[in-house]
Amino acid sequence: MKTRARLPRLVACGATLALAVTLSACGGGGGGSSADDDKIHVLVYGDATNKVEKRIVDTFNKTSDVKVVLDTIPGADYQKKLQTIISTPQAPDVFFNWGGGSIKPFVKADLLLPLDDFIEKDPGLENNFLPSVFNNAVVDGKPYGIPMRGTQPVLLFHNKKVLDEAGVKPPKTWDELLDVVGKLKDAGVTPIALGGGDVWPTQMWFQYLYDRVAGPGLFEKAVGGDKSAWESADSKKALGMIRELVDAGAFGKNYDSVKYTNGGSVQLVSSGKAGFELMGSWYYSQQLTDHKAFAEKDLGYTAFPTVEGGKGDAANVAGNTNNYYSVMKKTKHPEAVAEFLKLMYSDDFVKAQLDIGNLPTTTNTDKFIDSSGTPEYSRFQYDLVADAPSFQLSWDQAYPQKASSDMHKAVQQFFNGQLDADGFIKAMQALPTE
Amino acid sequence: MTTKTTSARLAAGPRKGPRRRPSASSATQVGRPGFAWALPAAVFFALFAIVPLIMVAVLSFMSWDGLSSPEFVGTDNWSRLMDDPVMFQSIWLTLLLTVLGVVIQTPLSILLGVWAAGHQRNRAVLSVIYFIPLLLSATAVSVLWRALLDPNFGIPAEATWLFGDGNLFGEQATAIGVLAFVSTWQFTPFHTLIYQGAARAIPHVLYQAAEIDGAGRYRQFFHITLPQLRNAMITSMILMIVGGLTTFETVLILTQGGPGTDTTISAYYMYDKAFKSFDYGTGSAIALALVVAATIISLIVVRVSGYDKMRSTMEGSS
Repeated sequence: MKTRARLPRLVACGATLALAVTLSACGGGGGGSSADDDKIHVLVYGDATNKVEKRIVDTFNKTSDVKVVLDTIPGADYQKKLQTIISTPQAPDVFFNWGGGSIKPFVKADLLLPLDDFIEKDPGLENNFLPSVFNNAVVDGKPYGIPMRGTQPVLLFHNKKVLDEAGVKPPKTWDELLDVVGKLKDAGVTPIALGGGDVWPTQMWFQYLYDRVAGPGLFEKAVGGDKSAWESADSKKALGMIRELVDAGAFGKNYDSVKYTNGGSVQLVSSGKAGFELMGSWYYSQQLTDHKAFAEKDLGYTAFPTVEGGKGDAANVAGNTNNYYSVMKKTKHPEAVAEFLKLMYSDDFVKAQLDIGNLPTTTNTDKFIDSSGTPEYSRFQYDLVADAPSFQLSWDQAYPQKASSDMHKAVQQFFNGQLDADGFIKAMQALPTE
Repeated sequence: MTTKTTSARLAAGPRKGPRRRPSASSATQVGRPGFAWALPAAVFFALFAIVPLIMVAVLSFMSWDGLSSPEFVGTDNWSRLMDDPVMFQSIWLTLLLTVLGVVIQTPLSILLGVWAAGHQRNRAVLSVIYFIPLLLSATAVSVLWRALLDPNFGIPAEATWLFGDGNLFGEQATAIGVLAFVSTWQFTPFHTLIYQGAARAIPHVLYQAAEIDGAGRYRQFFHITLPQLRNAMITSMILMIVGGLTTFETVLILTQGGPGTDTTISAYYMYDKAFKSFDYGTGSAIALALVVAATIISLIVVRVSGYDKMRSTMEGSS
């Protein structure tokens, strides 16, 4: 009997010992990095565009001694994961971002390499990109990012059939928009589809109206830390216009229960239940995937209407200027990184992006548009962005990441009437700007 | 009838007395389990529960964005939370959702559980169907209902007489209603299972005696079944309360705490602060407050209900 009792005790002790050994082994895991001495890690938002990035990496690795390793993180987790690892030894050498506020905190924490030296050696790293796009990754006067995907201006899309049936044309001015809203309502459709459940589509209306009414200066001031900008007369005027549009029933009543991300608002437009939707340029390929016949025949697009008397240039656009590659200061192979970044304006890169429906923002993009999959649409976007005096980066990307949640709440509450203009202004003033 | 009763009593009778002896003797033979037995579990518990809890407690007195090194700020995070209307609203919403869950799910699952414990035809088949929602992950369930309740293409679009314009996620009252409904839909099967097991364990003789005394089905239910389900009810309610206080996925997927902050319950507010606003200090403070609150509430329920004494429901002693 005694031996039987001893056995389990022995097993338990052994298990504990094994556990302790395993745990101490975990602690020493950092030693593996020495094998990575001749590699550069590039961290990218994981989605369909990765196939282009893989191709570029393969091209680079063929001729380079220092090899690039592409790491991808699924989109929804990207920002969180990046913030978690960026100040640790696991941080990549080069990483994907949205420019603007998305890299500001990293610059402040002294983690990023200013790209002046790279550009001095190869001015093409700056000159080969559209200036309005390139400047978006400039923080405190120094460039910190090289554009690496496509530009995503926000456009006003519409269902041609619905507009024809109601006897209206896409509006060119704000007053025309209000008029069209009334007519579409009379025709029994929701004038404008809005995925309010996601909130960022709601925010797009704020971005554009503030830009049209006050010009880009107001938001620049606000995001720069001057909170009085939100109290200005222009700010109140823009808010009044949003209120007017919502109260006119432009978005129907149940927009907050509709999402863009689950295809709800997309289907509203394609099925003819709604006339318009304000959305980033990726909308076209989304419709093409979800509702092919509609996208090819009845999907129309125009720029955001102008506002009479507004200070902003009617040609200004808003949206995501582009995505960028930024370089970590700690990288051991800055020369190789510089060589890798040069591929972002190569002909091969531009062609590959155009093939999958992205619109790169290099100066040589123009040459390849006509041979792309959707030349007319690409051309429209390209001219819009190239001619834009200012490209307003999405508010939630321009502000530091930590402000986006509170900003979304304010936007949604103002839209629903839970906050009045003063409440909204206060909420925006409370946002952290650095 | 009588023979059956006696045989049941005979079978149950001897269980009480001599049962202790063999277990006591085997204990002396094998020896009391030493500390070594608990060591692996204790090490795991310390590593994955106690240590993180202490770290969260420390972090709640710091300001940290995940980038720079944490900075000690004393009780700043806590005092800011005390002045934060959203925090108070979130506590109130958490309690509301928890109470709604208990109030709606308890009667439902008792009825279903008692019914499922019977011998009706097709009972087994229907029980399996009732059980399906529990097999789905909360995430899948939330995605499913989000789509089903879409105002333009879901059920509300077809049943306008019931849902009006279908703006279920756009107003506070209806959004909370949806959250309560979805958790009820998912978790009632689990509690039904608890009640089914408990109802099956009720000695049959009690019903037979009641029948002889002329008690009808309803009297049997209220005077035998319900009192005998007491302990199961407490177990189930504690699980509901703890589950209610820590609800998260349904809110994350169905409403994202919105519209505005209308459905921002405490657990979601913690996530929002820590992982969306990168304010890990405040997030930790909320998390700690939630741990303390859930512990206190559970203790109160245990004390008030007498669960700690766990009175026996064995025949004759209830």
